[in-house]
Amino acid sequence: MSGRLAPFGDAALLLTLGDHVDPDLAARAQAIATAIDEARRDAPGLGRAVPAHASVLVPFDPLALEPEAVTAIVRRATGAPRTPAGPFDERIPIEVAVRYGGADGPDLDEVAALHDLRPSDVVDLHAGAEYRVLFLGFAPGFAYLGGLPARLVTPRRATPRTRVPAGSVGIAGEQTGVYPLAMPGGWQLIGRTEARLWDVTRRSPALLRPGDAVRFVPAR
Amino acid sequence: MTFEVLDGGLATTIQDGGRLDSGHLGVPRSGACDPWSLAVANLLVGADAMAAAVEMTLVGPTLVARDSTVIGLAGADLGGRVVEGRRLAPGRRHRIAAGETITFPGDGPDHRARAYLALPGGIDVPEILGSRSTCLAAGFGGIEGRPLQAGDVLRGGAAGMPRAANLEDEVVWPADPLRDATTGQTILRILPGPAPGVDALVAVRWRVGREADRVGLRLDGQPLADGVAGETVSHAVAWGAIQVPPDGRPIILGVDHQTTGGYPVVAVVISADRPVLGQLRPGAEVRFQAIERGEALAVLRRQQAALPAGAAALLHATRWDELARSAGG
Repeated sequence: MSGRLAPFGDAALLLTLGDHVDPDLAARAQAIATAIDEARRDAPGLGRAVPAHASVLVPFDPLALEPEAVTAIVRRATGAPRTPAGPFDERIPIEVAVRYGGADGPDLDEVAALHDLRPSDVVDLHAGAEYRVLFLGFAPGFAYLGGLPARLVTPRRATPRTRVPAGSVGIAGEQTGVYPLAMPGGWQLIGRTEARLWDVTRRSPALLRPGDAVRFVPAR
Repeated sequence: MTFEVLDGGLATTIQDGGRLDSGHLGVPRSGACDPWSLAVANLLVGADAMAAAVEMTLVGPTLVARDSTVIGLAGADLGGRVVEGRRLAPGRRHRIAAGETITFPGDGPDHRARAYLALPGGIDVPEILGSRSTCLAAGFGGIEGRPLQAGDVLRGGAAGMPRAANLEDEVVWPADPLRDATTGQTILRILPGPAPGVDALVAVRWRVGREADRVGLRLDGQPLADGVAGETVSHAVAWGAIQVPPDGRPIILGVDHQTTGGYPVVAVVISADRPVLGQLRPGAEVRFQAIERGEALAVLRRQQAALPAGAAALLHATRWDELARSAGG
């Protein structure tokens, strides 16, 4: 099988597919997690798999399942078709309306200056690309989006903010994303959306889910 | 079976067995930090072991009973008492009369951090994503996703009291079999994590730092230098995982941990020791002991068996001490 499978305490295994941020690895991790979840019907005690950039954590009840049985399930899942939900290109992107710059995006000018761009260029580049949800983590509904144009790749802020408003759109390294809730954070903030990324009153609380395609649309 | 909150206490929340199926949405597990004590409190009042109950930390709430009820108490002794009245010891079921005020001022003799108060049928709050637990990070679950505050109302579940006659009796749960260590130096048993570094971790005498809450515990001690790599690509993590950030001071993840993390995980606390982990206070001395997986599961199996056995013993009141001894870890 591809990837390294290691015990994670007595109640989980961690499948590691690589050691770098790569949208293809994230897509593979998602596909494997989906296949593992399908196996839960026949494997009481198997927990919900949690994919990330290049890995899948597979929790299980150690009194109900042997690690060998979980290993076999993971092995089968790694051989599953890559994208059970259909090719990414065919998905209709979810559109997120964003007010760029000003108080909504306090780091826009700085990001532009770092790349020798005008702020309007940053907006055009950011809103001109199509993104893919790599995985959700960090906070409920927080989607790591891959597909940021190379010219916008920007390190995190040296000092994180103690409070980032909900809906803030940020850049960190090769990723972009939207803060679903007000929380501390170190991403470079270039805009803000009214869209509710996380809402427990919805049937599906997370607006963006693994594998979704996303576009940002300037709102002003 | 209704209490009104007069004072919320320090960090009092509604918690159950946790939100186990939403990690892929970035949702923390939540749930009781000490699931053993949650279960004992619930079983004392005939509720499901993992029903929603009140989790209090260091200083608990002050509550007034609107009607006559019974409560189950378990975990730390936070000095619980009826105001100007009798003591409310943990590990027991207590009857509270209508109009009585109960309080948990945190002046008890205990070195543990958390206590649980259960009502028959579990505490009636809405289920969200499969759990009634409070998710403090995102502000949902429990009561409006926040700690209890004055004016809140706690109600027992409608499905409670299946054995109403038995609830009249004063009953006592035995000494918790796995807790003897928590007054002095606490031993947390661990298994290796995906990153190397267990030996260095085991060699150091640690103390729980001031940054200690439901999200995690920072440990003070001789920082780990060699043998621990820098950051990795973020991967999903789990309750009890021991991360080592670049400063070499380990962090033990609690129930409210973020779902993913980028620090190396050198070890993971065994499932059976999660209740002990959930009772650590700032300042507590901690050592780690590496054990074999088979031993970890044997302890877990005994612990899991002790709960239904204890519940049955409450009904029949027989040979409970012997049972508790046999469940020892």
